[in-house]
Amino acid sequence: MNLRELASRIAGALGRGRSDREIAADLAAHRDELEAFHLRRGLTAEEARRAVRFELGGEVQALEAVRDQRSLPFVDALRQDLRYGLRMLRRAPGFTAAAVLTLAIGIGANTAIFSVVDAVLLRPLPYADPDRLVSLGERTRAGDPERVGYATFIDWEARSRSFESLAVMRSFQPTLVVNGEAERLAGVRVTWSYFEMLGVRPALGRTFTQEEDRPDAWHEVVLSDGLWRRRFGGDPTIVGRTVVMNDLPYRVVGVMPASFPPLISAKYYTAAEIWAPLGYAVGVGDSCRDCRHLRAFGRLRPGVSAAAAAAEMTSVHEQLRAQYPTQYEPGSVAVVPLGDAITAGARPQLLLLLGAVACVLVIACANVANLLLARSELRRRELALRVVLGAGRRRIAAQLLTETALLSAIGGACGLLLAAIAMRGVSAVAPQTLPRLGEVGIDLRVALFACVVVIVAAALVALAPIRQASRDDLRGQLAVDSRTTAAGAGRVRALLVVADLAIALTLLAGAAVMLRSVTSLARVNPGFDPNRILSMRIILGGRTYAEDPAVRAYQTQAIEHLRALPGVAAVALADQIPFGGDFDCRGFHVQGRMKPNAVDDPCIQRYGTTPAYLSVMSIPLKRGRFFTAEDGETSQPVAVVSESTARLVWGTADPIGSVVRIGSAVRGPWCTIVGVVGDVRHEDLAAPPIPAVYMPESQSTDSFLVALVKSSSDAAALAPSAIAAVRQLDPSVPVYGAASVAALVNGAIGERLFVMRLLAGFAAVGLLLAAVGLYGLVAYGVSQRTREVGLRLALGATSREVLRLLLSKGVTLLAAGLAAGVAGAVLTTRLLGSLVFGVSPLDPLAFGGAALTLVAVAVAAHVIPAIRALRIDPALALRHD
Amino acid sequence: MAHSKRDIMQGTLDLMVLKTLETIGSLHGYGIAQRLQQVSDDALYVNQGTLYPALLRLEQRGWIASAWGTSENNRRARFYSLTRAGRKQLALEEADWQRTASIMARLLGRGEEPAQ
Repeated sequence: MNLRELASRIAGALGRGRSDREIAADLAAHRDELEAFHLRRGLTAEEARRAVRFELGGEVQALEAVRDQRSLPFVDALRQDLRYGLRMLRRAPGFTAAAVLTLAIGIGANTAIFSVVDAVLLRPLPYADPDRLVSLGERTRAGDPERVGYATFIDWEARSRSFESLAVMRSFQPTLVVNGEAERLAGVRVTWSYFEMLGVRPALGRTFTQEEDRPDAWHEVVLSDGLWRRRFGGDPTIVGRTVVMNDLPYRVVGVMPASFPPLISAKYYTAAEIWAPLGYAVGVGDSCRDCRHLRAFGRLRPGVSAAAAAAEMTSVHEQLRAQYPTQYEPGSVAVVPLGDAITAGARPQLLLLLGAVACVLVIACANVANLLLARSELRRRELALRVVLGAGRRRIAAQLLTETALLSAIGGACGLLLAAIAMRGVSAVAPQTLPRLGEVGIDLRVALFACVVVIVAAALVALAPIRQASRDDLRGQLAVDSRTTAAGAGRVRALLVVADLAIALTLLAGAAVMLRSVTSLARVNPGFDPNRILSMRIILGGRTYAEDPAVRAYQTQAIEHLRALPGVAAVALADQIPFGGDFDCRGFHVQGRMKPNAVDDPCIQRYGTTPAYLSVMSIPLKRGRFFTAEDGETSQPVAVVSESTARLVWGTADPIGSVVRIGSAVRGPWCTIVGVVGDVRHEDLAAPPIPAVYMPESQSTDSFLVALVKSSSDAAALAPSAIAAVRQLDPSVPVYGAASVAALVNGAIGERLFVMRLLAGFAAVGLLLAAVGLYGLVAYGVSQRTREVGLRLALGATSREVLRLLLSKGVTLLAAGLAAGVAGAVLTTRLLGSLVFGVSPLDPLAFGGAALTLVAVAVAAHVIPAIRALRIDPALALRHD
Repeated sequence: MAHSKRDIMQGTLDLMVLKTLETIGSLHGYGIAQRLQQVSDDALYVNQGTLYPALLRLEQRGWIASAWGTSENNRRARFYSLTRAGRKQLALEEADWQRTASIMARLLGRGEEPAQ
C-alpha cells in the first residue's frame, strides 16, 4: 500500500470515497452489458442471468470487496460496532441511564477532587526550580518551626554553605490613600535578593538592589499586577512614580507579572500585593536574635538535599547557642521543601478526601460491572445466535468492549460536566486556609486524569462480561432456557454488591464520625459570647497618629461615634480578638518569679483593650476588677490575667497585687495585676485555652485596632452604618475586614466542616449507588425466579415463605456488607486523625448510625422487588417466558 | 479453466489491467473483463469481486483515472484510463515481469523465451 492509497483509504474511512451507489451502478452496468451479450448470443433470459452470476460472482460480495478496498476494514468494523453499540444502548434506556449516571458520578467526583488535589498539592510551585526552594525555621522545644530574628539570619547566611541564597520577610501593611479613599494593603517586606531567589522577573521595571535594603532608606516598592491594575489603572509609566503611604513617599520600581502568584507572604494564604525592602541591619530596630518575627526561605545549592541542609543548619544553631546561650533554646533548624511547607496543613485532609472519592469510583465501577453482567446474561441468547451465524469470538469481544468503551465515554463526558459544576461547589465550601485554591480549575492534566480513570473503569467493567461471554459455551446456550443463570456470574454479582455495601458503610462511618466531631466542636464554649458582635479593623498610621495622645483622642471619639448609632448596645476597642487570625505572644516576666534566663519565662497572649471589652465579649470576671476609665496614662500601670495564666504562673497563689513586665524583661513599666478573668480560646476550638494577659489601651496604645460593636439585634446589619461612622471621623484611616465575631468563630471549624461536608456527600453518593446495585440484584433475582415463584404459589406456598425465599439472599448480602463495612470503618476512621474531636474514631453512635442508615436503605432497596414478588399471579407466571 | 480469484495473483491482475488500458485506451469494467477473456482464449474469467477492488486500488494509487461515460451500447458506465504515473508503473512492472518470467523459464528448463 503506498501513501496515496493509504490517504485515499483514510478519506474513504471518513466517508469521502466513492459512494456505495456509484460502485453499485458501475457493477450493475457491467452485469447488464454481459447479460445483453449473452442474450445476443441466443441464451434465454434465465440462462443469461446464470451465466452472468457464474462469470462475475455475487454482486453483494463484489460490493463488499470494493468497500473493503475503499476504506480501512478495521475502521469500518469499529464504526459498525459503535453504531450497533449505540443502538443497543438506546434500546435499553434504563440500563444505559443507570450506567452512565453511575460512571458520571464516579468520574465527576474524582475529577473534581483530583483537580483540587492537583492545584493544591501536586502542581509544582510557579518559581524557577521550585524543588530547591525551602522554608527554614528554628525548631522550638515543642517541635514547631519558628520564625527567626534578623541577627540569626545574618549569621546563617555567613556560616552555612548549603544555600545558593537565603531571604527573610516580615509583614507590611501600608495604608494607601488614593482620591481620599484609604485602603490597607497586604504586603511583605523582603530582603533585597528575594525575587532573585525565587527566580521571577518583574513585568515592568526592576526589583530591589542591595543599597535599597537599609534601615535608613527602604522607600522603594514593587507592585503586584492586581494592585497596579486596580489602583493605578495599569498605568505603563508607573515605574519611577512616587506613591504616598502612611505619610511617607515610596518610589515604585517595578511591577510583577500577573503570573507571579503571591503564595509567600507573612501568612501563606494572604495575597501580598506590594513588596518593599526589609530595611534591617544588625543592631538597629527589631533585629535582635530573640526578635523572632521573620520568616526565612532559601534556595538550596544544586545537589544539596533538604535533610543535609537541616543537619548543617542545626550545627550552625548549636554554634550560635554556645555563643549566645540566653538567646537560643536547645533544638534544631527545620528545613522543609517550600511546597510542603505551604501545603502541610491541607495535605492530610485532601489525601483523605482523595481516598474517599476513590471509594466512590470503586463503587461506581462495581455497579456498572454488575449492570453489564446482568445485561450480558439477558443477552446470552443474542450472543449465542451471533456465534452460530459465524461471528468470531474476537469479533464479539471487540463488540462488547466497544459497547463498554462507548458507555464509559458517555459517562466520562457527563462526568467532566459534573466535575465542572462540582468544582465550583468545592471551591465555595473550601476553607480559606486551603492554599493555592485560586489555581483550581479543570485543566489539561485533570482532563487527562479523567480519561485515565475512564479507561481504567472501562477496562475493569469490560472484563467481567467479556470473560463470561467467551467462557460460556455460547452455542449450547441456544438450546438452554434463557431464564436460568450461570451460577458463577451470580456469585460475582453478589460479591460486587457486598463490596459496594461495605465501602458505602465505611464512607458513612467516616462522615458520621466527622459529623459528631463538628457538633461537639460547635458545642465548645469559646469563653465568650460571639453573638451580636460586629468586628472591624482600623489602622492608625502615619504622621497624624505618631504620638499616643492623638491615638487616644481618636479612640475616644470612635467609641463615642459608634455608641451613638441606633441599635448599638456597647463598643470596645482591642488590638486583637480571639479567632481574628491575630497572634501577639509576649514574654511574661513576674517580679520575684522570673527564671534565671528570661527566655524561659512563659509567652502569654497579650490583648490591649478598652474597659468595655469584658462586657462586650461577655467574658466573666473571676476576681478583682477589670479596667475602668480611671486607668489612664498617668495612673498606675495595670494588667488583668486569665485564669490559666494565674494557674500557670502563680499556681494556687493569688496573682492580684503582683507586678509584671510584659514583652521585655529589662525595659518598660511594671504593671500591677488587678484582676483575673475567664479563659478564652484564641484560635482553635479544639485546643485548650491559652494563657492571656489584658492591658488597657489607655496605657499602651496600639495602631492596629479591632472595633467591637455589640448590637442589640443583628450584628452584620450594623456593618454599613458602623463603617460609615468611623470613615466620617477620619477618611484617611482605613476601615476593613468587617465581620461578625460569630462568623469568625464558625470559620475556625471550617476545615472540619469542609471535610465533613465532602465526606457526607461522598457517603450519600456511595450509599445511593450501593442501594441501586443491591436493588438491581434483588429485582433481577425476583424476575429470574418468576416461574418458580408461580409454581410454589400454585402448590400452596404462603406469601411469607415466598418472600423469605426471594429476600434471604439480600439479607445475606446485607449482613456480609455490614460485617465487611464495619471492619473497613474500624481500619479507616483513624485516618481522620486530628480532625476527630470530642469523640473516639470508633464512636459507637457514629458507627451505629451509619450501620442503621445502610440497613434502612437496603430495606428500601428490597421493597419494590418484594411487592413485585407478592403480586406474581401463579397462572401467568407458569407461562412466563 | 482458471477463473476463481485465487488463481490470479494480485500483482498479475494489476499488470493485466494496466496493459489492457495502455493497449486499448479508455475502457469500462465490462470491456476490461471481456478483453482479458478474449486475450486468454476464454481461459480467464475475472470475478467482479476481484476486478473492481483492483480497479479502485489502482485508482487510489494514482495509476489509473475514471469517469462516467456512455458505452457503445448506450449504457452509462465508468471508464477507466491510464494516467502518466500509471504508464511509468506499467513500464516498471513489465520489466519486472519479463525478468521473472525469463528466470522462471530457465529454472523450469524450457530454454525458450516466454511468449508475450
